[in-house]
Amino acid sequence: MTLPNAPLVPLGWQTIGPFFPRTFFSEGDNDLTRLAPNAEPTAQGQPIILRGRVLQEGGGPCVNAVLEAWQADAHGHFRHPADPNHAKADAGFMGWGRAWTDADGAYDFRTILPGGYTDATGTRAPHINLGIIGSGIMRRLVTTLYFPAFAGANAADPVLTVLPAELRPRLVVQPDGEQDGTPVFRFDILLRGEPHEETPFFLD
Amino acid sequence: MDQLPPDLFGPYDEHTQPQVPIEHYGNTVTRNPRRAPFRRPVTRSEVTGPLDLTAKLRPGDINLAVVDGKPAQGQLIWVSGRILDEDGRGVSGAIVEMWQANAGGRYFNPLDQRDAPLDPNFIGNGRCQADAQGNYGFFTIKPGAYPVPNSNRWWRPPHIHFSILGPASLSRLVTQMYFPGEPLNVPDLLILSIADREAQQRLISRPVPTQQVEGEWLAFRHDMVVRGRHATPPL
Ligand SMILES: [Fe+3]
Repeated sequence: MTLPNAPLVPLGWQTIGPFFPRTFFSEGDNDLTRLAPNAEPTAQGQPIILRGRVLQEGGGPCVNAVLEAWQADAHGHFRHPADPNHAKADAGFMGWGRAWTDADGAYDFRTILPGGYTDATGTRAPHINLGIIGSGIMRRLVTTLYFPAFAGANAADPVLTVLPAELRPRLVVQPDGEQDGTPVFRFDILLRGEPHEETPFFLD
Repeated sequence: MDQLPPDLFGPYDEHTQPQVPIEHYGNTVTRNPRRAPFRRPVTRSEVTGPLDLTAKLRPGDINLAVVDGKPAQGQLIWVSGRILDEDGRGVSGAIVEMWQANAGGRYFNPLDQRDAPLDPNFIGNGRCQADAQGNYGFFTIKPGAYPVPNSNRWWRPPHIHFSILGPASLSRLVTQMYFPGEPLNVPDLLILSIADREAQQRLISRPVPTQQVEGEWLAFRHDMVVRGRHATPPL
């Protein structure tokens, strides 16, 4: 007997398996700065490129992993009603993108440097949320990326500080030069490895 | 949006979710962390998410069973249901992606090198946007079973892969839908990776009595509950 208003149970996750359709990807899906592939990129914020590799146990590439990124706009606002400041959000910024890894395990995103914000949990440092799905990954693996320029904010971030201090630097992206004048940051992900190498993930 | 998105997100009940590793599926070892995930507070970036994905993930692809006017091989089926949150409210505007093998159990994907025939009239993937009540539906054909390579003859039962993007980052769901009464469901290692028997059964669609189906196809109903509750429950 289900009582009135008794919650339903979320469905079980299952892996995407090895055959997630390539035709699901379109040009520009990995560009968070545009609302649509043919839209102009947002005029607000510092454009950046985020790139890295997804590696599996032993250090080999994790091929055909799907990465989904979500972040605030340059001022730390989300264009979503759960953000009390959503009316102030950048109307030209998508904030979401999807990338998939190639034979080398490599991925890249184009986005802007996110802003931080304060909510009931504290003051969030600028960050990008990343979800990873792939063959053999039965439930999405989630982690969060931080930027080296905000050491003070990172040290107070209510999510990053959940990690033991020695693991926190693992979630800070590394500056990696420029591409056509746009700063590049690198974030390699090791899905499984020795404790000091494996990427920290959060309970989804 | 005709309603506010959910604002309460508890952790999953582990008994209702798959556990790894899974025998004969090496990637469930090499691609899953050793370290337990860290419990984090739920902040604004987890309860928000993109609401206007249709420009990127284009919907409108709900008939997989016909390509250029030519019907695909296999049993024509209509798979439909609702995307619901934990309060049973329809998830308005959710993006629903699906993909599957053809009637012979082979994927169109070039990575599937199995020696089973490809069907030129079956590509095998679709995407739609749920309506204001969370309804979705696809015309397709019933997929065939296929063996997992190097697995001591583990055959995957007929299944459809689903990927759902709801109103919050935390309402994301990737799952597989199975068919009622399939003998291969019983020993399937992916279904069995979920401990709770009721949660296993919820992965299996319900047959629609043929008298209730409007045309010459079989129909299956499959509601999919994504995470999220409302601080103010429905009356
Ligand atoms: Fe499959």
